Amino acid sequence: MSILLPLLWLCHLATATLTISIPPSTHLPNPHILPATTHATLTTLPAAGAGDRDPSHILTTSLTRGSTLVFNDIPAGHPESYLLDIRAGEYVFAPYRVDVAADGSVMGVWETFRGNPWENRGAEKYVVDIAAKKAADVVVEAKVLGKKGFYEERATFSPLSLVKNPMILMAIVALVLTLGMPKLMENMDPEMRAEFEQQSRASPITGATTNAMTGGGFDLAGWMAGTAPNPMASAESPREGATGRETTTGSARKRG
Amino acid sequence: MRLQAAFFIAACLSPAAAIYSDEVNHIEFHHALLGAPSPDSTFFLKPSSSSNASLLYTISEKSIIGAVNPRDGSLIWRQDISRPGSATSGAGILRGLDGNNAVVGAAGDSISSWSAQDGKLIWENRLADGAVADLELLELEDASATSGSRDTIVLTSGEGAGVVRRLDGDSGKTKWEHKDNSGDVPFQVSSSPSEIFYISLQSAMLKGYKIKVTSLDPITGRQSRQVTLNTESDITSQDSILFVGANTASPLIVWADKSLKSLKVNVIGTKQINTIAIDNTSGQEIQQITVHAPHKLNSLAHFLVHYKTETGAWAEVFHTDMKSSVVKKAYQLPYLQGQSVVATNNINANVYFTRVTDSEAVVVSSASHGILGRWNADVSSTDRAIHAVADVVTKGKSVAVRSAVIRESGDWSLIRNGQTEWTRPEALIHTVAAAWVEEEDQEDLVHELEVEGHESLIGAYIHRVKRHLRDLQHLPEWLKELPKRIITSILTDEVSNLDSFGVAKSIIVATEKGRVYALDTGRQGTIKWSFQAEKTSHWDIKAILTIPGSAEIYISDGSSLRVNSSTGEIISRSAPTNVKLQSIATFEHQGGSSMVRIGSLGIQEDGSPVSSFDDITGFLVTTSNDGRVLGWVEKDIKSPVWEFVPPAGQKVIKAVSRPSHDPVASIGKVLGDRSVLYKYLNQNLVLVTAVNEQDHTAGFYLLDGVSGKVLYSVRRSGVDPTQPIASAISENWFAYSFFGDAVDESSAKGYQLVVSELYESPIANDRGPLDAAGNYSSLHDLPLPHVVSQSFVIAEPISHMAVTQTRQGITTRQLLCVLPSSNAIVGIPRPVLDPRRPVDRDPTSAEAEEGLFRYAPYLDFDGKWYLTHSRDVAGIQTVLSCPTQLESTSLIFAFGGDIYGTRATPSQAFDILGKSFSKLQLVLTVVALAAGVTFLAPMARKKQVNMLWKAT
Repeated sequence: MSILLPLLWLCHLATATLTISIPPSTHLPNPHILPATTHATLTTLPAAGAGDRDPSHILTTSLTRGSTLVFNDIPAGHPESYLLDIRAGEYVFAPYRVDVAADGSVMGVWETFRGNPWENRGAEKYVVDIAAKKAADVVVEAKVLGKKGFYEERATFSPLSLVKNPMILMAIVALVLTLGMPKLMENMDPEMRAEFEQQSRASPITGATTNAMTGGGFDLAGWMAGTAPNPMASAESPREGATGRETTTGSARKRG
Repeated sequence: MRLQAAFFIAACLSPAAAIYSDEVNHIEFHHALLGAPSPDSTFFLKPSSSSNASLLYTISEKSIIGAVNPRDGSLIWRQDISRPGSATSGAGILRGLDGNNAVVGAAGDSISSWSAQDGKLIWENRLADGAVADLELLELEDASATSGSRDTIVLTSGEGAGVVRRLDGDSGKTKWEHKDNSGDVPFQVSSSPSEIFYISLQSAMLKGYKIKVTSLDPITGRQSRQVTLNTESDITSQDSILFVGANTASPLIVWADKSLKSLKVNVIGTKQINTIAIDNTSGQEIQQITVHAPHKLNSLAHFLVHYKTETGAWAEVFHTDMKSSVVKKAYQLPYLQGQSVVATNNINANVYFTRVTDSEAVVVSSASHGILGRWNADVSSTDRAIHAVADVVTKGKSVAVRSAVIRESGDWSLIRNGQTEWTRPEALIHTVAAAWVEEEDQEDLVHELEVEGHESLIGAYIHRVKRHLRDLQHLPEWLKELPKRIITSILTDEVSNLDSFGVAKSIIVATEKGRVYALDTGRQGTIKWSFQAEKTSHWDIKAILTIPGSAEIYISDGSSLRVNSSTGEIISRSAPTNVKLQSIATFEHQGGSSMVRIGSLGIQEDGSPVSSFDDITGFLVTTSNDGRVLGWVEKDIKSPVWEFVPPAGQKVIKAVSRPSHDPVASIGKVLGDRSVLYKYLNQNLVLVTAVNEQDHTAGFYLLDGVSGKVLYSVRRSGVDPTQPIASAISENWFAYSFFGDAVDESSAKGYQLVVSELYESPIANDRGPLDAAGNYSSLHDLPLPHVVSQSFVIAEPISHMAVTQTRQGITTRQLLCVLPSSNAIVGIPRPVLDPRRPVDRDPTSAEAEEGLFRYAPYLDFDGKWYLTHSRDVAGIQTVLSCPTQLESTSLIFAFGGDIYGTRATPSQAFDILGKSFSKLQLVLTVVALAAGVTFLAPMARKKQVNMLWKAT
């Protein structure tokens, strides 16, 4: 029995535990929704020639009921610097650096950054208290960095998105103008209307549009309604002037 | 922030081709498998004291604990408890108790307790002294217990010593242990309300074993008494004991004498042995005796003995007198031909036996022989049932039963009142090889077209007219189908309607246990046919090669099997040869748009071909078992043409070549300033991986397969050779990944992914030494490629790599990576893995136009790249990709553990009208426009008339 006791004590030293707790955070308000496949891994590569301890340099532990991850059996024998990864479906956790002393007790835990030098240590999570000299069970908190979105969002039909379309907007403006203009003209003062008509007749642009409307181009609405002439026929018919509104429409009427 | 930036960049620049959530289960399928359930450790259990519905729990032969929903057979959770390095002997043990919210499983020397509801860990323990031989949950709580969790009694058997421990239900800590150093064989533990029994086998003087029962106090673990039964004449090994009853009011030990003439029953803790003569009226030899007894403490002390012969089975029910420990027969279930399995369960104290046979399912109470429920069953199957567990529900006088039947192949099905509800194809977990089936009917047309191509102009014309006339006979059918087709195409989604584009291909898979299956990837991976090709536990399949209409399976002993790929009939078998094969090599050549196989050849373990290949113009590259790479030509199969030996200390572990179907859409890469970098395109590239296990280095060598010339090599230090090293090569680029340790403090530690591209020269618009040459020769002055590489740190290991294949290679490729630690398959878009991404600066406008963005050392896998999205696809060994008729789409099939299949669209489905395209909406829009026109036309006419009158 007296031989056994120190042995037991040694065993106890070697099995210092490292516990990672997952606190609620903005990305993960309820850690209990983490899937059962959640696990943590401690990875390192033993120094060259020390390969006889395979494969204990990769340690894995599963998520417990209390949303913690517990490493019970960190092997002793050689100081190691482990990379701690936590993998939990769509949740992304920050990687940690875990330094372990030769007796298997945890020396320190720091945040680390992937793709950065190993010496580049981030926020300190735990450092052993040399003065206390007690290999206490180490508890550190995991940090959730974000959530992965696995699915593509299907574009849903909404009237608002239709309105945002510039083509639709232009069409609406044109519609408002064509419907609203005559109303506006009617409500105008008769003198002002006369002046406006005078002006629009003089303006070359309006003249051209009027021309296009009446005889210059193909009037689809008119053609569909059966009132406009066959476009081929109108192309053949002689033009009598840029502002010859009366004569053109007159000829059209004679034919119709 | 760093991570978010990475997310953002990836989202902006990668062609997002993620799955839509409404496409899940439409374009993909997943068989989440456990492996064949272990008969002794499969049970129905209510996951928590509050729930009424029970789940089906099991531990499989692969030491995976799983909870299955009995309603639809879906997996609720699973945990793999096998540990690398621990000696697992046989299947594990799983125990659960109603009212306890935990299940406790053991495999090898590790024992763990899991929350029954969601599969989260409660505690785990590693027992130092040997493997777990048996475990029981203590049903009765002591006065000291407070919570609902029950303690575990575990027996370990190590070097000549058995240890019984009581482990705390909440923490897994040892409460007491009892060590047995007598040298007996530790056998089992059992318990009664007041005692714990440790049963061991004591070697008798001459031969056989005596059963020794040691009673232990449940609270302290102290030994209270010991009983030894004189059984040495009957028991020669552990297998002779048929049953050790667990947790019943009267736990039993049952064994039979050697001639199977009588049954011996002992109530544990007593010295009395009841001998019952076996009443065999079948006239056949008994092959198997199984004992079924309830496991609950408060149930009646009744049990059933099931006797199985070659062609049939019967059963007898016995009652135990609790006071006198006398066992007497109550009644008998008749002898029936065919397969028969029995399951036990109890409701309160009543015990019910469910017997499932070929023709019917019957429920009887243990108390009397009256049949409570009988259903005609549709369970007859060539796959014999070996075990069943049942869940009986009584409602007034009627009963309902659902029984989960485990079959010989490992498949698992649930029969509810005689109807098969679901079947889980667990045997597929052993899949080691797979190949896409080539359809026969398409081949006919190809053949006809070939005939036309070879005839004279007039002959071909006549042939074509004849063919079209022949096709006319299908016209009435086609016309009849037409309205239906139009309606269905409007109503249903396009994604499920692409079968004619080669999207619904079948795949033939073969398992290590000698079974061959055909799965239909277009129908959620349902099994089209299956058969047992060989009765073996290690069928060493080297390759499956398919030709239109049939598939040939090659085994390592040189034999082969040809099956009809549409029916599964065996066409022919060839006998084994006396050479052991390492692999099968195939020769293929480009024939039109597809690859045509012109021959195949076995490769021996030392890397030499089995026979010469004189009739084929080609070359072979093989790896030998002593870590070399060898090149062969058709003339000489005795000595290789070239030999690649890695530097001293390194061992070749892998060699990959370009896929046989690897079309190159463009021979150059157009840069932002419209100049061109010419790709180094060599059909014969081989990427060899070699590792040095001593100093942790790895070498990657790019060889030319014809000449064996090393075109490029790179050496990496700090590589962990025990972790997976994956590699892939396609077009003019290759990629590999490994775990790289921090060699010094200023280097990074983590998994790395390296991608390299090969160009003919570093200068744009320049082909280097090749200049204007149309051809090149591997043998004379093969120019070396200009290699551009970039390394990325990734978050997890990659165990296997593959590249998506499309019909013409125009679609962007994805690097398919299997992530074993998050049980996923990720498709990394090639533009992200462009080694020409600018380092430490933002891209110039020309580079940005090319699609290059700033290099970041950490490559975060965007969630949209995950082909498996949120699924847990475990144990994948190999990923196959196959082009379809649609250029945008590549079929993906993954196997090795789970079976997973999906469609990858790396550049999005540009040639398919997706689900978002609503045909109904289009039709409605046209109708609405037409209505608008008919409504507006009179208005416009009226207005014009009015305008004319008013104007004049």
